[in-house]
This record gives sequence, structure tokens and C-alpha cells, in this order.
Amino acid sequence: MHPELQKLVLLQDIEANIREAEEQGEELKELGFNLDGLNQLKERAEAMAGEINPRHLAYYRRLTRRFGHAVVPVIDNLCTGCFANIPAQFVSATNENLLQKCESCGRILYWP
Amino acid sequence: MDIADVLKHTSPDLFLPDLQATDKPGVLVELVQGLVAGSPTISKQDAVLQMLESREALGSTAVGPGVAFPHGRTLAVQKLTVLIARSKAGVDFDSVDGEKTHLFFVLIAPPQDSGHKYIKSLAALTDRLQDDALRQRLMEADDFDAFCTALGGD
Repeated sequence: MHPELQKLVLLQDIEANIREAEEQGEELKELGFNLDGLNQLKERAEAMAGEINPRHLAYYRRLTRRFGHAVVPVIDNLCTGCFANIPAQFVSATNENLLQKCESCGRILYWP
Repeated sequence: MDIADVLKHTSPDLFLPDLQATDKPGVLVELVQGLVAGSPTISKQDAVLQMLESREALGSTAVGPGVAFPHGRTLAVQKLTVLIARSKAGVDFDSVDGEKTHLFFVLIAPPQDSGHKYIKSLAALTDRLQDDALRQRLMEADDFDAFCTALGGD
């Protein structure tokens, strides 16, 4: 996997956990979960963002604002953001180390 | 959502009856290895592990008496997946009550789990696992089927 993609995936996962703590925090606290580390997690997200190429990060931020999720999994050769078909050559060895984008919606593609 | 619904998201391959790790980082690694080995659709071990570690940074998920619920969302899974694990010796998992943790229910969901199915699953599990006698039966269950039967209350 492209090293930048690995960082973007982790950043998106951390941000999903932050969003959940903020949006479902009361419900999670009622279940007994302690969310005191929210600021620490935000710092971790910032640190991860700082490791990403600024051009890639800006693109990720733009997509997140527009779609909610910038990186989406490809399942059954479909972009799960817009359901466009992803040509088989996208997963060839030649392209393994490229940051791939959906030609239809522009989302960053991830093969789980 | 009841326990039977939660159990639809696990399988005998996602049951680790006797964890070997003796500390929290080791348990997280062993749990993730179990997820990858037990689920044909999960392959990115590092991504899942990093997500669970970052979730623990938010606050320990060992909130039940002797029970932890490591959970979170990650792109590395395509559907809600539940792994069940047990440590006979118990592990220091930074629990709220300071006691050792013996039972682990790992719930991981994709980011697009818009119905918050896994939070509802967490609610069902945290409620059910308050029962002292039930936890004892789960510790003594011989196999996955016996564990699920006890957990489901049948």
C-alpha cells in the first residue's frame, strides 16, 4: 500500500472515532465508557496529519468536506463512494504504489 | 437489538478461548491477529490495530466488571464484525475498577455503519455482561457454542 494512503486511512479512522465521541458521546458515557482522552486523540490526529504531504492532505480535507469520507474502500471492483466501476488495471502491480483516485467522483481508493 | 442479533456478527472462527498475552499491548495484537485469521474479509492487520490503539487512547474500553469492549470504526472492515476472547489468567487492561480483565468483546465496523449498529450491539453487550453469574458461566464455557448459549440466555 502507498505509504501516504496508509496514513490517510489511519487519519480517517482516528477522525471517525473523534466524531463518534463527539456525536454519540452521551450514549457511550451512559454505557460506562470514559472519553476523557478526546483531546489526546485530537492531538494524535493532528500529529498524523502533520506527517502527510500537504498537497495530499489538502485534497483529503476537500473531499472530507464534500463527501464526509475522503477515502473509500473498493469492493467488487466498485468505488463504494459513487459505485463507479474501477477498472481492473487499477490494482495491477504497476499501480500498487500510486495514490489512486476514482475517475468518477475523485475519492481516494482503498483496497481492504 | 438483542444478544442474538449481536451473535450474528461472530462465528466459531472469531472465538479465542484462551488468550496468551499478558499485557494490554499484547492482548490488542492477539485480538487483531484473531480477527484477521477468523474473518476472510479482514486483511489489513496494521490498520485495525492502529485504530483499536487510538480508540484506547480515548479511554480504556475495559468498563465492565472483568470485561472489555475494544471497538471502533475502520476502513479495513466491510461489515460489523465481533470477536470474542477470554483470558483465564486475566490481564491488566486499564480497567475502570482496576481489576483484571478476563472477557473481551471486540466490535469493529466500517465508517459507513450509519445506523450505528455497533453502538447498539455495545449497549446490548454491556447490559448483559453486568450479570456476575453469567460472567462466571462464560469463563467456564467449554467451546463457542456453549459460550453463545450462555450469553444468549437459552
